[in-house]
Amino acid sequence: MSDYGAHGEQNIVSEASTADYLAVVPLVLGALAFVAGWAVVFQWVGVRDALAGVQYATLISAGHLLAGVALVGVGVLSVTDVIDNNPDSSVGVVPAGVYGAFAFVAVGLVVSQTLGQGALVWAPAGLVAAAVVAVAVLAIPEDLGVTLPVAAFEFVAGLAVVTGVVGPSWSWSPVGFSATFVGQTAIAAFAMVGSLLTVWAAANAYRGFGARGREYGAYTLISVYAVALLAVLALLVIFVVQNGLDQVLKGAQLWPLHVPFVTNGFGLRYDVNGIYPAIVGTVWLVVGAVVFAVPLAVGAAVFLTEYAEQGRFTRVVETATNGLWSTPSIVYGLFAFAFLLPRIQNHVTLLTGQLVLGFMLLPLVLITSREALQNVPDEYRDASAALGVTKWQTIRSVVLPAAVPGVLTGVILGVGRIAGETAPILLVLVREPFSSEAPSVLGSFHFTSTAPFVTNDALLSPATALPYQLFAVITAGVGAPIKFGWGTALVLLLVVISFYAVGITTRIYFRRKLRQ
Amino acid sequence: MSGASTTQAISRSFTELDWPARIAGLVGAFSLAAALAAFVVSPGLVVFPALVFVVTALYGWFFHQAEAARALTFIATVSTLVILGIITVYLFVKAIPIVQRMGLGLLTTTNWEVHASRYGLVTMMWGTVVTTIIATLVSAPLGVAGAVFISEIAPKSVREAVKPAIELLAGIPSIVYGFIGFVVINSYMQDVFHLPTSGSLFVVGLVIGVMALPTVVSVSEDALNAVPNPMKDGSVALGATDWQTTKSVAVPTAVSGISAAVILGVGRALGETMAATVILANVTQLPEPLYDVFGNTITLTSAIASQYGVAAGRPLQLAALFAAGVVLFVVVLALSVISQTIERRMQRSLGGEQ
Repeated sequence: MSDYGAHGEQNIVSEASTADYLAVVPLVLGALAFVAGWAVVFQWVGVRDALAGVQYATLISAGHLLAGVALVGVGVLSVTDVIDNNPDSSVGVVPAGVYGAFAFVAVGLVVSQTLGQGALVWAPAGLVAAAVVAVAVLAIPEDLGVTLPVAAFEFVAGLAVVTGVVGPSWSWSPVGFSATFVGQTAIAAFAMVGSLLTVWAAANAYRGFGARGREYGAYTLISVYAVALLAVLALLVIFVVQNGLDQVLKGAQLWPLHVPFVTNGFGLRYDVNGIYPAIVGTVWLVVGAVVFAVPLAVGAAVFLTEYAEQGRFTRVVETATNGLWSTPSIVYGLFAFAFLLPRIQNHVTLLTGQLVLGFMLLPLVLITSREALQNVPDEYRDASAALGVTKWQTIRSVVLPAAVPGVLTGVILGVGRIAGETAPILLVLVREPFSSEAPSVLGSFHFTSTAPFVTNDALLSPATALPYQLFAVITAGVGAPIKFGWGTALVLLLVVISFYAVGITTRIYFRRKLRQ
Repeated sequence: MSGASTTQAISRSFTELDWPARIAGLVGAFSLAAALAAFVVSPGLVVFPALVFVVTALYGWFFHQAEAARALTFIATVSTLVILGIITVYLFVKAIPIVQRMGLGLLTTTNWEVHASRYGLVTMMWGTVVTTIIATLVSAPLGVAGAVFISEIAPKSVREAVKPAIELLAGIPSIVYGFIGFVVINSYMQDVFHLPTSGSLFVVGLVIGVMALPTVVSVSEDALNAVPNPMKDGSVALGATDWQTTKSVAVPTAVSGISAAVILGVGRALGETMAATVILANVTQLPEPLYDVFGNTITLTSAIASQYGVAAGRPLQLAALFAAGVVLFVVVLALSVISQTIERRMQRSLGGEQ
């Protein structure tokens, strides 16, 4: 901050001086190296592949070295006041600590792996190196403290790869681990770590260090993180679509609309094996769970919010339901297997599956319905009571209609979750995962003259479901119908994601309406 | 205290009724209790008391709607609590035989010998601990960074698109992650990292971490969003940059909410079943040495999922699996209580300052 008076005003006016654009060079190189690192991880390119006659590994290491040179240049120009900026007197404790950690890892690895020393030697050596680096970084002004250590990392990484110390043919099996690390992994790791450091340092330098530089550095780094995170999650979805689309569209035609994969069963009499029984099974599971859980949970929510005294009792119920909501789904499955199964037909049935999913849905719908009821403003209740109507009429005509959107959202999100659950139904639902016939629940009601008067064979027979079918593909072992599995995964993903999309959209819509 | 007042409230509301309604109320209550008892003892007889209950409820609905509604919602509350209570109690009761046989050894030994009927849970607990730690290392830093991006850095239009997208991704079923892990990542690890076996704790931790990411992002973003704007404005008015405000005002204020989000993510990772089951080979042996994260072992959840079929004929093995379920249940419940307490405290402290 010492030279704030000399240069500060100019910096507030201009975003960045011309010379600061030098920092753009490492910024771009860092971004490229980040993408290059991911490309190696995803095996889009191999490190030995040649690009314009040059090995990919060599290109990456050249990027490391160039970025290092550019960072040194920025640091030197800044400290000699050729670039107009306002760095602080030191880089701060957190970056110094991070540099120290890097030094610890690097020195520790070299001493223990290359020199073959034990923990009594490498641990102190690493600690000394970390302390030296951290103290040295704290002693120099911020512009050098940001650029030089990062440049040092880039030089070490680039030289290690280009000289072949950690080249494409390098490999390392650390003692005690089953894994072997090869050059490809190391080069990708260097590229990604180096690029994040470089991007941070370059962004910091671009805004002339100081508080504004630190802000820009941190924002750039976090943005790169966030974009990478979103990209990974998006890639996941794209990957499933890419692998499953072929299978889903096998033999499909647009007009008249016919998609055999979702309308056929599995068996010899179908030209294209499909997952229709599993889709119908999933639908009935969800319907059964909703019919069972929603009235109970909404009723309980009404009682707890409108009738019961708010106090220890409601708090305990709340804690209990929250706990049960986060209870692992396999625990529900275990319960259903040991408790429900022997009591219902003593074999796997659709009804047991519906009940166990209903049990899982119960806490969530209770929690969200209670929230929705509590969010209805008390003015509504007071206004209705002022008209002289009874409490129940208020609840029925004022409170419940106002809470319907919230309840609905909770139900939809809950259904999205239970539709994709496999663990609870593992052993209570399925006898034949790849079945040829869908359960026909509506057509199976029969009335009898003796108890229990109404029977439904479909409810009391085994069924199958989408997530279970995917599990069955995995456990089928050698010769598993992997393509079929990708198709199932895509359909399951579409079903669940569309439930979530509807739920989230209604929630956003009604929240906005409430705010108006 | 609350029990006594509830009883009083019930008796008061009971004396307010006329005779037909009183009789209907009693009949309804008894028939429902009978139906529950019949389901536990002899499921075939459930239909009779259930029919009586339905008839009584219909009578009440048409002739005494307000009272009937109150009674029915009360019954719904009781049934919900009874169902959830039965699940909890049953879990503990079924685990008793193995506790009687193994004593404390259940939690301190590693043997899982089906033929000798000796079961220790240490191997599974170790697998769960390792995968949960890896998953937390993946999901916590990345999740919080993502939340800071959405809440503090991204422009409004980006935020409004990204937040729902993240919530959408929280809905991807775990079996889909498991399928990807099984088909793609396992062979990738054998290919690139030369792993000797298919499946490793590292892959499970990584997959579960990615799976928990959207939850952590979404809940921590809610916490950051709940920081009152006047607090941030005050910091900016003092001349701090946005990043200084985020670092020194927003994140410290929201830290309890963020830790609740991380705890929630840990809970998800602990209870994740399908990914662990299909990715791991589920061998009941500790990795050698213990810290070999590329080794193959079993977790509490995958132990239940992969063994409860074969355990049906062996009461002690089934009891051991129930014990595993109890361990999971207790840990997850504790995590849930902790995160709720933190969240409530945050609401109180933030609410007081507005």
